[in-house]
Amino acid sequence: MDAVEKANAERQRRWTKEAKIGEGTYAVVYRGREVATGRKIAIKKIKVGQFKDGLDMSAIREVKFLRELKHQNVIELLDVFSSKTNLNLVLEFLDTDLELVIKDRSLVFLPADIKAWMAMTFRGLEFCHRNWILHRDLKPNNLLIGADGQLKIADFGLARDFADPGYKMTCQVITRWYRPPELLYGCRYYSTAVDIWSVGCIFAELMLRTPYLPGETDMDQLKTIFRALGTPTEEDWPGHKKLPDYVPIENFPKTPLRDLFTAASSDCLNLLSKCLIYDPRRRISAKDALNHPYFFALPYPSHPSKLPKPAKKDSGGHAALEEVDGNVDFTGSGPGVKANPPNRLKRKLSMEDGGSRSIARRLDFTAKS
Amino acid sequence: MSSRTTASGWLRGTTIRKGGASSSSNSTRHTTPQVQSTSSTIFGGGVKDPSGRTSEYFSMDDQCPVCKSDRYLNPKLRLLVSACYHKMCESCIDRLFTLGPAPCPICNKILRKLAFTPQTFEDLGVEKEVAVRRRIAKDFNKHREDFPDLRSYNDYLEEVEDITFNLINDIDIPETEARIAQYKIENAAVIELNAQRDEQYAQYLKEQEEADRLEREHRASELRRLEQEEQDEKEQSRQAIIDKLETSDKDAIKLVARSRAEALKRASAKTTTPAFQSSSRLLRSRAAQSTVIPDVPHVPLQDDWYAYEDMFTMRSNYDDPISEAVRKDREGIMRAGGYVVEEAWERALRSAVAGLDIPPLQGIRSADPEVLQETNTAVAAVS
Repeated sequence: MDAVEKANAERQRRWTKEAKIGEGTYAVVYRGREVATGRKIAIKKIKVGQFKDGLDMSAIREVKFLRELKHQNVIELLDVFSSKTNLNLVLEFLDTDLELVIKDRSLVFLPADIKAWMAMTFRGLEFCHRNWILHRDLKPNNLLIGADGQLKIADFGLARDFADPGYKMTCQVITRWYRPPELLYGCRYYSTAVDIWSVGCIFAELMLRTPYLPGETDMDQLKTIFRALGTPTEEDWPGHKKLPDYVPIENFPKTPLRDLFTAASSDCLNLLSKCLIYDPRRRISAKDALNHPYFFALPYPSHPSKLPKPAKKDSGGHAALEEVDGNVDFTGSGPGVKANPPNRLKRKLSMEDGGSRSIARRLDFTAKS
Repeated sequence: MSSRTTASGWLRGTTIRKGGASSSSNSTRHTTPQVQSTSSTIFGGGVKDPSGRTSEYFSMDDQCPVCKSDRYLNPKLRLLVSACYHKMCESCIDRLFTLGPAPCPICNKILRKLAFTPQTFEDLGVEKEVAVRRRIAKDFNKHREDFPDLRSYNDYLEEVEDITFNLINDIDIPETEARIAQYKIENAAVIELNAQRDEQYAQYLKEQEEADRLEREHRASELRRLEQEEQDEKEQSRQAIIDKLETSDKDAIKLVARSRAEALKRASAKTTTPAFQSSSRLLRSRAAQSTVIPDVPHVPLQDDWYAYEDMFTMRSNYDDPISEAVRKDREGIMRAGGYVVEEAWERALRSAVAGLDIPPLQGIRSADPEVLQETNTAVAAVS
């Protein structure tokens, strides 16, 4: 046994595996404990060998970025070790995620709760952006919530660093409902604004308790966005007509957000509208968002320990799979291309209880009458 | 029970009779007008009590102002209120208005028979105010959330109050009506929306009430069942002791002590069964919790973040061949996607200066002033 193997074996001994809590296309997730302290952890075992090109891309991204990031609102990668041919990531164990919270109809959200979740999301995102990392897959499912109520950004499988000049980036990222219009138009050079759009969609979803812009296809997504927020003009968004995949879409009128978010305060709508500005260069930055008056106004954001949490149900099966890390998806479409077909299975679920699927369409009602 | 309320009513000279329940007066007039007030009629349709029935005002001193008949002459006297808020008895109404619309004997306003309503309040002014407010509330149903700030909401409330006051006191009626019509046209969509929302909310409250009631009933029956069980058990154990005492030849005191101990154990096991959890209690616990841990004001960044901004100054332009393409295409595809060249420069600069203030490791040869000076010149060069 050489020195490297010895070090690896030593690392492995620091963690115990307890029970399998979920399986995805390229990873199996176990619940475990740190031997020394008894602290709960999650071990994500990445299947190697199935892929001809070696280790999967998203696993590499996850290790690469999480190794560098340590913040109260970003999931912590505690350790990495290998066992036989597998790669194991030791992650912080988190009970639930924001999607489960939103879907749990027995929970009541106070405006202060939404404010607290938004502040934590922006804080985590600001930390990523400050360290030149784009998350590129923000959605409620990837915002995990710990036992103490702290929200943590997880799943860095699609993340990458930005601000290196001249490199083209892929536009096939971010789950469709949370994807900004510039990516839908096939833009290959973008920046932090893409993540802010996703946060804006999550913000709206927290208030509506149902996805804000649920498009069926990429084309329909653009239509859904424009139906909700009005079709952008050259003035709203200079240069967007020159984007690679630009297609003219019928003209929808701009409707005030107030029509849909009737109970929201004006500060709140102001921040939301700044997150959903078409021109990416004018969209608010995470840092500016944190200094927005919305967060300073009364009511103060709820203390994390007081935020609503779904009741504990079965600790195995689907829910548990998401508990640890949203990186494992159900569709079996494989990692990395997750953005292309967003989880159909989950969308069906959210439709049944939501009643009205296309929120944006509801706006037409007031416009007509 | 009912005789007692009537008696106390006699003493006070007034009594409230439930309109739906009293059949004696209704039987005399099957055509009792029960007009639902619509938005264009200003008169009370009777005010409903929580059980959904209309209570009608009734006094021993009632006298019809038209025929001067009173309760002494006609025990079945029932006074109704006209659209112009004048009282008259049912027989007068029949006499005057059966042949069609006719002028009011008091104020000469043309009235119809169907437009008379039962009286709820002793003071007809209150009757009118209730009717006016009900009508106004139907259209002026905006909430605080429909306004950008408190100021405009207060202005709106004041306007509503103005209109109401005018209608109640008959000031500038045509002009006020025009104002209402104008408002209705301008805010048709919002009114409709709010009406729907209010209805939904009322529905929700009703459902909530129903659920609470069911839960209470369930809990009561559960309690009764438990009590019954306990009683049965007590009886059983008593019987068991007697049987044992009869049949076995052991010490009586020991037998009794053992069965007592068993009973105690059962009782303690029972108390651990989970109690009911009601949603209202859950909410209350949420409210109670909120006072235990106070919410703190927002702090934008909670980690100590040092941007090295004091170690460099960004220039507006750099000679950067790599980003040449981006800078050339000012309005083009790179800018439309939100790509910012300055970010790349900032990143490079920050990476260059990051760590400059970290002291070199102890025991390494290069920790001499010469190298430090070199780093300082590097900083100077960058900035």
